[in-house]
Amino acid sequence: MTMTLGKFNNYDTVIHRIDPRIKLISLIVLLVSVFLSYGTPYMNLVVYGGIFVLLFVLTLVAHTSFFLLFRSLKALWIMILFLLVLNIFLPSSATEESMVLFSVGSIDVHLSTIINVCYILLRLILVLMMTNIFTSTTKPMDMTYSLEWLFYPLSLVRFPVHKLAMTISLALRFIPYLFDKTNQIMKAQASRGVDYRQGKFKDKVKAIVSTIIPLFLSSFQVSGELADAMEARGYDPDARRTRYRAYFWSLRDTIAALVVLLFLAGMIVLAVLRPDMFAAMGLVLPK
Amino acid sequence: MPIEIKNIFYTYDKGSPNQKEALKDINLLFEDHCYTALIGKTGSGKSTLIQHLNGLLLPDSGSIDICGQVIDMTLVYKEKKGQQVVDEKAMKKKHKKKLKEVKALRKRVGLVFQFPEYQLFETTVLEDVCYGPKNFGSTAEESEKKAKEALSLVGIPERYYSRSPFELSGGEKRRVAIAGILAMNPDVLVLDEPTVGLDCRGEESLLALLRKIYDSGTSIILSTHNMDVVLKHCKKAVVLENGEIVSISTPLELFASGKYLADSAIEPPKVFSFAQELIKNGLPVDLSRVKDCDSLADEIIRVRGGKTA
Repeated sequence: MTMTLGKFNNYDTVIHRIDPRIKLISLIVLLVSVFLSYGTPYMNLVVYGGIFVLLFVLTLVAHTSFFLLFRSLKALWIMILFLLVLNIFLPSSATEESMVLFSVGSIDVHLSTIINVCYILLRLILVLMMTNIFTSTTKPMDMTYSLEWLFYPLSLVRFPVHKLAMTISLALRFIPYLFDKTNQIMKAQASRGVDYRQGKFKDKVKAIVSTIIPLFLSSFQVSGELADAMEARGYDPDARRTRYRAYFWSLRDTIAALVVLLFLAGMIVLAVLRPDMFAAMGLVLPK
Repeated sequence: MPIEIKNIFYTYDKGSPNQKEALKDINLLFEDHCYTALIGKTGSGKSTLIQHLNGLLLPDSGSIDICGQVIDMTLVYKEKKGQQVVDEKAMKKKHKKKLKEVKALRKRVGLVFQFPEYQLFETTVLEDVCYGPKNFGSTAEESEKKAKEALSLVGIPERYYSRSPFELSGGEKRRVAIAGILAMNPDVLVLDEPTVGLDCRGEESLLALLRKIYDSGTSIILSTHNMDVVLKHCKKAVVLENGEIVSISTPLELFASGKYLADSAIEPPKVFSFAQELIKNGLPVDLSRVKDCDSLADEIIRVRGGKTA
């Protein structure tokens, strides 16, 4: 119950110790590389497979739970099914020359449709994996700091970077609060006989209502109190602020930065050249 | 109805770096019609123990007999490479099975959380109090009858029934929330720090209410930091420290020995200390008669041979 996907876990691994800014940049690099196209559908799958293996290793190194990730995917079954149906009925998702796998009535199911759905699913898994690694190895405060740092150039055009960062950090700070509070309210309502596990649909809706209303009320109250507390201590969003935590650039960070750069370069080269590994090996795969 | 706890253990976040052993080998019996206080520092395991009493948390091992319904989580062992090891699979299965059975428990044991006013959500006071009985299968009329009884017991006047619970004051909200539990007619009422955040008068009237509930035959178990409450109302005091029980006694024995109090950062009630000072200085008051200021005054008059009021 108390273990959640993406919650910061307090281990001390290499990934935990890397500068948060580098972690944020590598997250962006990985995100971009997942959404690049590498030529034929099969080459895409190969590259995604490679990224999956890389992320799997990182997950193990970062001590985050792989199991939790897949448990959370279980809830996505309906979405996958929906995507599949949608893609089959949308003619644009199939290319003209694509092989017809089978037909249901007058509708042809193309191979490329299935591959398309696989893409979406794979990308989703990869994105989940990488954000999970990032959030479970980076303290919320560090995360905000790295975001603020990344957005810093925008302050030249009068973009309120600091306010944005403060908003994000407050939002992040509220996640564990909401989580605990939800747990607490659910327990209180369970004591009044609410059954969250079984029961009719109508009862379940009522159960959710009985949890959400108190949750809203208390979060409004707490956010009001927090705002008062910040003002009472003289918080001024427009003032220059100093930082409590100092960040030191170490050799480890330089190496990590180089690795990320190399990775990005490699991915761009792959995406531009689009080498067809299968054609080179003389294999002809169905389209 | 008695509650018997045998050798229960509970660990939070098992297997994670934040793992915390909250309860260690707890053995405890709450007799029929008891008024028991659970005392201990923050983090001593009071709240965890309380949540075991109506199946919100299931022990990792051990068993709890709640009014005849047994949550048996005694460890199952299996042979592995010639050694006895815990059969995790069987334990998980047991856990799952028990989770389905606990709903019945929640009707027998009513649990009032710290700041219970956060559980209010309905549009009117009456409907909110009806929510519990309805969940346990009472019809609309029955629940309304039970709700009205509970509301009049906690002293909420009828003109409040159709108001929104969110318009009420803090103390009134708490009363309504407690009525929401009482309406389920539990055999045992468990309260986690019921007096926290109430003003002096609110506290007094809440305790008077608990007394009334106790006198009507319901057992009361509460956790508290307030030793005046323990001295005045409770029949038994259980001291917890770091998830273990260090003492079970009457409040009188507990305060008189003064033994576990310093460790648990608990001060005996002022009235009690005052009475002890009186004895030291030659006025032989009977400590068992001292419950609060009034009874101390009566006792002093009695010892000095005067007439009590």
